[in-house]
Amino acid sequence: MGKRVLVVDDDPDVRLFNTTVLEENGYEPLEAENGEDGLQMIRAEQPDLVILDVLMPRQSGIRLYRKLKTHAELKNVKVLIVSGITQKAFLRSQQALTEFGGTPVPEPEFYLEKPVEADVLADHIKKAIG
Amino acid sequence: MTRILLIDDEPDILRVLCRSLEADGYAVACARSGPEGIAAFEAQRADIVITDIKMPGMDGIEVLKHIKARDPDSEVVIITGHGDIDSAVEALQFGASDFINKPVRDEAMSIALKRAEDKIDIKRRLKEHTHDLEHKIESATRELRRRSNFLGRVIRSSNDGIVATDEHLGIVVFNPGAENIFGYPQEDVVHKLRLPELLPENMTASFLQAMTSAEDRKDWPWTETELVSRTGERIPVRFSGSILNERGRKLGVVAFIQDLREIKGLQLELVRSERLAAIGQTVAGLAHGIKNVLHGLKGGSYLVDVGIAKGDSQKLQKGWDMIKRSIDRTANLVMDLLSYSKEREPEYQECAPNEIAAEVCDLVRERAHQERAEIVREFDPAIGRVLMDPHTVHTALLNFVSNALDACLFDEGTGKSWQVRVRTCAEPGQTIRFDVSDNGAGMSDEVQRKLFSSFFSTKGHRGTGLGLLVTRKLVEEHGGRIEVASRLGEGTTFSMRLPYRTQARTNGLPRAG
Repeated sequence: MGKRVLVVDDDPDVRLFNTTVLEENGYEPLEAENGEDGLQMIRAEQPDLVILDVLMPRQSGIRLYRKLKTHAELKNVKVLIVSGITQKAFLRSQQALTEFGGTPVPEPEFYLEKPVEADVLADHIKKAIG
Repeated sequence: MTRILLIDDEPDILRVLCRSLEADGYAVACARSGPEGIAAFEAQRADIVITDIKMPGMDGIEVLKHIKARDPDSEVVIITGHGDIDSAVEALQFGASDFINKPVRDEAMSIALKRAEDKIDIKRRLKEHTHDLEHKIESATRELRRRSNFLGRVIRSSNDGIVATDEHLGIVVFNPGAENIFGYPQEDVVHKLRLPELLPENMTASFLQAMTSAEDRKDWPWTETELVSRTGERIPVRFSGSILNERGRKLGVVAFIQDLREIKGLQLELVRSERLAAIGQTVAGLAHGIKNVLHGLKGGSYLVDVGIAKGDSQKLQKGWDMIKRSIDRTANLVMDLLSYSKEREPEYQECAPNEIAAEVCDLVRERAHQERAEIVREFDPAIGRVLMDPHTVHTALLNFVSNALDACLFDEGTGKSWQVRVRTCAEPGQTIRFDVSDNGAGMSDEVQRKLFSSFFSTKGHRGTGLGLLVTRKLVEEHGGRIEVASRLGEGTTFSMRLPYRTQARTNGLPRAG
């Protein structure tokens, strides 16, 4: 079996699309529908890559990303953000949280704005984890 | 001190009289003939001249004439010979204040002097009084002119048109404001036109009636109307007027006219620029909404492609479902847009607000259960059947309750038991208040400020960003209003107040029942 990729998105259609792209390209998809469940899955399953949505109920992608990047063991988990929110807005929200006394977090390595073409998504996954 | 000039050709009499007058405290000058006396008078005026009548060269009457010609205010007392009544009368005719007979007795002299002094005093006081009066009239006139100029200036500088008439409605005041509105110069109107020739009939009719009847009407409240200028332009104006009264007599009328062209123009421009801004937001918001839908369509077609390529009918089905859902979302977006942009009159029908609230609670029960939130109903039993637009109530409540459930769903607080409370309450003034409260995520001030702006959404794929906007539009069309109270992390309450009608007040309402 190929490398394991966790898809965290509250929209079932997005999860279905992402997991299909993953399967078609030889990866093993995992799914979580919110930030809370996503963090548990990352701890339990240690995936090679997390494809993360930003606006989700029960812990947003903004918060989950911070938790990962400031977590001693999990900070090296690779993250690809796929969101309707622009990268600029995402960075601004992270900055705001840092200013409120949080630890600075690195900018996400991979960021895609919706809508995403299947081959573009596949390319980015390949770039991230091969 | 009163100054006296004493003229007599007899040196003894002159000396005796002089001593006696000086002893009485007068300042006395003496002269021994008429010409000498006049010369002395020219050199220094005397208040009182006492002159003998019979003197060689120039007699007392001549002296009297001279003195009176030089100074009419000087008093002249004539000394006449005993029994010379004719001379005395002549002297009085020429303005002598008194006469005394020779030989001159002290009492007669002091009475004559007293009279002369009184006359002088009265004249002085009269003069002072007259002077004072002239001064007072002058300053009162100045003040009057100043006030009248001031009032004139006030009337002239008013931006409002001011037109005043006499009791026959003939125009007597027509200020520059009125010139601007009507397009007539003042000189073509004042004392030339009557009010009915200037204002449309609907504006003058009540003036005419108020002036000609015993009606006790004093003023007219501001009303908006239109008048026609000299050039035929129809001018929107605000108009009010008063009857000018003085002690119950009707003096005329005054009309105040505000030119609304500029305001109307600005209002139009404002509406236009607001619409432009809304279009700008609409385009940006639409692009965002369409991006989300596109994502679903692309995802769906990818799945369909994969399904076809592999002959995987399950993939095919899932892809097709995804496409159909995206089509539904497009339809929702378009419907929201349409109902936002279209004006709609509320359709009043007899309905029970509590029943509508209950329907909405039933509708979301399943979803609330999935999201671990409880719906609590608190309906006011005093609310019966009323005339309202049930569509407005239903749409608004469903929007509020969905928002409240989203607020619970998006709440990152743990260990909370989420609740959405739906409350109805009859309020005075034929109003029903609907409260939908949640103890979910709450909103920051910034989010609260953006709540009613188009396409604002914090819910990712869940919202079109139009829900509250559509709701607010419906509520406002229904004459109601929405209030929001929220604290981040504590929850939100939406309050909607909707007025209702009663059967009695809406007699003949075609859609009722």
